[in-house]
Amino acid sequence: MTGAIVMQGLSKDYGSGHGLFDLDLEVAEGEVFGFLGPNGAGKTTTIRLLMGLIHGSAGTATVFGLDCDRDSVAVKREVGYLPGELPQFGGMRGSEVVAYLGGMRGAIDRARVTEIAERLELDLGRRFREYSRGNKQKLGLVLAFMHRPRLLILDEPTSGLDPLNQQTFHHMVGEVSADGATVFLSSHVLSEVEETCSRVGIIRDGRLVSDMTMDRVHELRYHEVVIDFNGDVPEGAVRAAAGVEDVAVDGPRLTCTVHGGFDGLLAAISGHTVADLVSREPSLESIFLSYYSK
Amino acid sequence: MPPRLLLRLHRIGLVAMAYLGIFYVLVNSAAFPLIAGRTRASQEAFGHSITVLGATFSWLLPLPMGADTAAGYLQWRGYGFMAIVFAAWGLISACGAVRRDEDRGLVESLLATGISRLRLLVSRSVFFAMLSAEIVFLAGAAGWVGCVIAGSPAEVSGLVGESAALWGLTLASFGIGLLVAQLAADFRSAAAAASLVGLLMFLLDSIGRSSIQRAPVTDISVFHLFNQSNAIAPRGTFDLAATLALFVVAATATVVASVAFVRRDIGAGLIRTRRRRAPDVHVPSSNPLLRTPVARGLWIHRLGALGWTAGMAVAAAAVVLLVNVTATFFASTPSLSPYLRGLPGSVHTVLLALIWLSFAQALVAIFAITVVSRWSNEDSSGVLEMQLAEPIPRWGLLGERAAELTVIVTVMSFVAMAVILALAPAEGIPLDVGRLLTATALLIPFGLTFAGVGALLAGWRPRAAVVVLSTITAISYFVFELGPLFKWPALADNLSVFQLYGTPLITPVFVGGLIAMLAIAVVGFGSAGVMLARRDVAA
Repeated sequence: MTGAIVMQGLSKDYGSGHGLFDLDLEVAEGEVFGFLGPNGAGKTTTIRLLMGLIHGSAGTATVFGLDCDRDSVAVKREVGYLPGELPQFGGMRGSEVVAYLGGMRGAIDRARVTEIAERLELDLGRRFREYSRGNKQKLGLVLAFMHRPRLLILDEPTSGLDPLNQQTFHHMVGEVSADGATVFLSSHVLSEVEETCSRVGIIRDGRLVSDMTMDRVHELRYHEVVIDFNGDVPEGAVRAAAGVEDVAVDGPRLTCTVHGGFDGLLAAISGHTVADLVSREPSLESIFLSYYSK
Repeated sequence: MPPRLLLRLHRIGLVAMAYLGIFYVLVNSAAFPLIAGRTRASQEAFGHSITVLGATFSWLLPLPMGADTAAGYLQWRGYGFMAIVFAAWGLISACGAVRRDEDRGLVESLLATGISRLRLLVSRSVFFAMLSAEIVFLAGAAGWVGCVIAGSPAEVSGLVGESAALWGLTLASFGIGLLVAQLAADFRSAAAAASLVGLLMFLLDSIGRSSIQRAPVTDISVFHLFNQSNAIAPRGTFDLAATLALFVVAATATVVASVAFVRRDIGAGLIRTRRRRAPDVHVPSSNPLLRTPVARGLWIHRLGALGWTAGMAVAAAAVVLLVNVTATFFASTPSLSPYLRGLPGSVHTVLLALIWLSFAQALVAIFAITVVSRWSNEDSSGVLEMQLAEPIPRWGLLGERAAELTVIVTVMSFVAMAVILALAPAEGIPLDVGRLLTATALLIPFGLTFAGVGALLAGWRPRAAVVVLSTITAISYFVFELGPLFKWPALADNLSVFQLYGTPLITPVFVGGLIAMLAIAVVGFGSAGVMLARRDVAA
C-alpha cells in the first residue's frame, strides 16, 4: 500500500499556542482513518490544510503524491469533502446546489446522486433554507460522495444525523472502502470511529498524541471491578496481582481496574469469601476521556 | 440585548444613513449660493424657477416654499428627498431586525438566553430610535452648518422641528415595518411587502398632494403627516399634532407588532401558506446553466440582476422624460446658465448627458458595492470554502466573478441605452447614437474599476471591504459633484473615478481616464488574485 495522505512536520501556528504543530502522519490507500480529538484540538485545521484552504506554517502534506498547497486543484479532483458546517445556500434547492457544485467539478453522475439521496431519504426538491440541520448534513454527504472520489475527507460527518442515517453513513463508508477508496474522517464520537475506522489518530492541543490501529485501541479496554468481601479484604495480594490497577478499599468493599485477563485478580482473591462481584466494561468514550485527561 | 451587538446588527444602516443624511443635507444647503448665485436678484430668479419646477415635481416632493433662500431650498430638495430615504430605511431595517435575524437563527439564540420576546422587540426598537435620532439630528446640525456656509443661517427651532418630524417618520416606518414583518415567513417576502406598503403610503400622499380635491383617505399616509411640517423654510410651520401623530403611529404599530411576535411561531409568519405536498426529488437539477462557468453565477443571482436592470431602465426613462422640464428650468434660471455654457451640443443633449450619466455611474457604482458585499459574505458564510473545495483554481473563481459582474453591468447599461433610444426622439432630444453607444460601453470599465478595488479589499480584509469601498465611492462621488462647484483643482477632481469616466455623450472619450480605469481594474483584480491565493480561506 502507498500513502494516500502523507503529512510531515505539518504545522499551522495561529499564535498563543493555538494551531497544529509538527504533525507526522501517513494514511494508506484504502484505509479508513479516524481523527479524534476534543473541540479545538486541531482536527479541522488539519483537514483545511489537506484541502489547501489554508497554508501551513511549516512542513508538507501530500495526497496521492500531490502537494496539498501547490497542487491543490489536482488534489481536489481526487477528494470528496464534507466541511464541519455547510454554508447557507439560501433559496437554492438541494438539486440546484448539487448541480452547481457538481458542475464546478465537471460531469455529474446523476445515478450516483439519486442513489445516495434515496439512501439518506433526502428530498433534493426543497430549498436549502427549509432544510433541518440533519438534512443539510445529508446534502453535504451527497456532495462529498457523489463523484466516487478516491479520498473522502469528512469533518464530523454524522453531526446532526439521526441514528438510522448514521447507520446508513457507516454502511456507505464501508462500501467505498471496499471499493478501494481512502477515508479520513474527524470526529469526537468514539463509537462512530470504532464502527467505521481501521486506524485512529488522537490529537490534543494541536499535537498528535497517539496513532494506533483499532485492535490496539481495543487493547486499551479495561474492566472496573467492585468486590464485596465477607471477612478480610486481601488488599495486598490484589495490589500485587498482574494487570490490576487503581486499587481502593472502603470497609469490606474493594474497587480496582483490570487490564487484560482476570487470572491475576482471581488468584489474589482465592481463599477469601466474596459476597458480591460486579465487573463493568467502560465505553471507549470513557477510556478516551481518561486518555485525554492524562 | 448588549448595545455592542445591537450596534453591530445596525452597522450598515448606521454608516449608510450617516453618510447620506449628513453629506446630503450639508451639500444641499452649503452649495446654495453656487447654484442660485450670490446676489439677491439671482436668488429670487432661482427661487421662482424652483417654484415652477416644484409644481411639475409635486408628485415627488412637496411644493417648494421660500426656495430663494438656502433654508427653503434645503427644506424642498434636502428634506423632501430625505423623507423617502429615511422611511425606506425604517421599513427595511425593521424587516431585517425581525426576519433576517430570525432567518439566520439569531432570534432563536437570543430567546434561548431567557430574554422575553417583548423585551427583545422593545430593545431593538428603542435602540433603533436612539440610533435614528442621532443621525437625524446630526443631519439637522449639518443643515445648520450648511446654511451658515451659504451665508443665510436657518432658524435653529425650525431645524429641530423638521428633524423631529423626520425622526417621527423614520420611527413610524420602523414600526410599520415591524408589523408587516410579522406576517411574512422570511426576510425577502417581508422586505417586498414592506416596500409595497411604503410605496402605497407614498403614492397616497402623492395623489393627495397632486389632486385638486383631496380625498381624506390620502391623509392616513405617514408621508402626509411628515409633510405637514416645513419648519426650515422661511415662513414655514412646524405641525406639532402631525408630528405627534407620527410617534403615535410608531408606538401603536410597535405594540401591535409585539403582540403578533408573542403569538406567532418563531421561524414562521402570522400568515402561513399551506405547503403543497410534492413527491420527493432525488436527482440533481438538469439546468445546464448551473454547470456552465459564469452562467451559473448569473442564474443564481438572476433576480438581483433583473431587478437592477429594471431599475436602471426605469431611471433612464425617468431622466429622458424629465429632460424637457429641466431644460426649461435651466433656461429660466440665469444663475444656472454658466453650467451649460461652453458644453457642445443642444441643451437637451447636454442635460441628458449630465443627468443620465451621473445617475448611471452612481447606480453602477452602488451595484458594484452590493456585489462586493456578496463576495465578502460568501467568504464569511463558508460558500467560498465550498466553492474552493471543488477543483477550480482561486484565480479562476475570481475571473468568474469579474466576468459575471461584467455581463450584468453590460446588460444593465445597454438595456437602459435601449430605453433612452426608444424615448428620446418622442421628447425631441437629439442623440448621437455612436456617442451613446460609447458612453454606455464605458460604464463597463467604470463598474470594473469599483469591482477591482472591491475584489482587492475582499481578498485582503473581507469584513472591512464593503465599508472601505463605500467610503471610497462616497468620497469619489462628492469630489466629482462638489469639485466644480467649489472650483477645486483639477488634480483633486481627477482623483474621482467618476471624473475619469468623463462626459462621453457630449465630449470625446477621456482616453487618459479610460486607461486609468482599466489600470485600476486590472491592478485591483490582479492584486486580489495574489491576495486570495496567499491567504487562508475559512480560517
